[in-house]
Amino acid sequence: MEIEVMGDDPFGDAAYQKLFEDTMSDLNKAVLIDRAKLVLRPATPLFIFSLVLKADPGNKTVVDVANVREESNMTYITITQERYAPDILRALWTTYGRNRVVQQTRFDIEVANAKISELQNMIIASGEQDLREIMGAVWRSMPEGIKNRRTLIDGGVITVIATEELMRPEMMEEGRKVHESMLGGVAGV
Amino acid sequence: MFEVMMYDGGIYRSDELFEMIEDVGGVVLQKNRSSQMLTVIMSVPGEDREEISKLCRDIGGEVKEVPLAGTEIAVVGPTLGRHHMPHPICDVAEILRRAGAVTVVMGLARGRGKNTSQISAVEKGIIDEYDACVVCLGNFKPCVEKKTDLIKDLHVPVVLVSGPKPEGVEDTYDALVTGVGRKAARMKSPEERAKLDEIADTLEEVLKDRKLSIEEDPLFVHPAEVKQILQEYEPIDMCLRPSPMVLHLDGLRIKIPYNEHREYLENVMVYGRKLGEVAYIEPSRIDDSSVIIRIKTRSQVEYEDSQKQ
Repeated sequence: MEIEVMGDDPFGDAAYQKLFEDTMSDLNKAVLIDRAKLVLRPATPLFIFSLVLKADPGNKTVVDVANVREESNMTYITITQERYAPDILRALWTTYGRNRVVQQTRFDIEVANAKISELQNMIIASGEQDLREIMGAVWRSMPEGIKNRRTLIDGGVITVIATEELMRPEMMEEGRKVHESMLGGVAGV
Repeated sequence: MFEVMMYDGGIYRSDELFEMIEDVGGVVLQKNRSSQMLTVIMSVPGEDREEISKLCRDIGGEVKEVPLAGTEIAVVGPTLGRHHMPHPICDVAEILRRAGAVTVVMGLARGRGKNTSQISAVEKGIIDEYDACVVCLGNFKPCVEKKTDLIKDLHVPVVLVSGPKPEGVEDTYDALVTGVGRKAARMKSPEERAKLDEIADTLEEVLKDRKLSIEEDPLFVHPAEVKQILQEYEPIDMCLRPSPMVLHLDGLRIKIPYNEHREYLENVMVYGRKLGEVAYIEPSRIDDSSVIIRIKTRSQVEYEDSQKQ
């Protein structure tokens, strides 16, 4: 994760870079973020945190995070993204029942009489949930009293503009500029 | 003169230590037992210190200096929200406990924000019950400078812990430690541990002034002696709250309800005088399940006696 900090308080800038890194790592969100820009203006106060995610937070199906193979009446699933393992199991148990789902190893699951087409449509994690968790992590890393927030989301770019009391148009304008500068660096958006 | 020291060792033969403390007229301020390990903070007469240290070493333990023993310190953060807790507030509280203080972590109800942060009169009253307070503020200079408004009316010594050095607000605190600020991880690097030690040393220095002023005009009775007298009182003896009696520099906090026990406490005899005559006995501002005793100075008691005649 690459972090750029723009501010006028030397101690606060360095401290917030560390704080942002620590908070994102603690909440397991650092792996999802490609780069971040933090604009810190404590005197105003105005805080703009803009993130570019590695991938769009869309809905994930079983086939997105696992290799699936169908043989006669048995379907074999090999999980490739470990963080979704509990979600896959939960979805399989809910759909097929525990009797038909056998977990051979940590990443290998066998399901009796399951169709690949069904697994292609089985949503195991919604993009909305991911987005909500990332937003929660950003809010946690911001100063606590900065409660008046606006959020801009375009594909994989999230920008949170926050101040303490009135959100003035020039603050929103500055937030939009930061958002657009981050959008420029994202391929295909 | 009583001196405070800490035994850190095993439970083996600790009864001999307790016996000796009793024999020399000392008092156990705090006792923590964890499995087979034991720490005892005690207040003993200065002339018997050597003898007790020798016994501590004989029974396999060691004697440690506890410069903040006999004090109760409030560690105050803007709020108890996840933005400020547990780091660095709990790290600061931990290092003060290692130096022997009893600590309380406190967050303000509306302490967050730069322009909207507030402290209520009740919160100020609660902080004023402690011997001193350590106030932890954040990373930005303008915010720290603005938030010193919160601490300017406190009557107890204040150690301000912040990130950058605030300017133009030197009259609001007694001592300042910079370089900490808001953190999301435990303070465990060597530089951070040194910073925590600096906070404990600064607090010790601030309290030294307070101790000197008490020595110039001594209290009518040392709080440890009042503790010794009261420890046999059944409601205190049976109290299940941690540290039912906490020493302050000028008195003590007793964790029993004020309304039920006021009469007993006022009438208990101390050196031929009723405690109510030589000390202020008040309910705690936190709630009425604790009592704050502030012992009057000798000169104050003499003056009040002369007024009665």
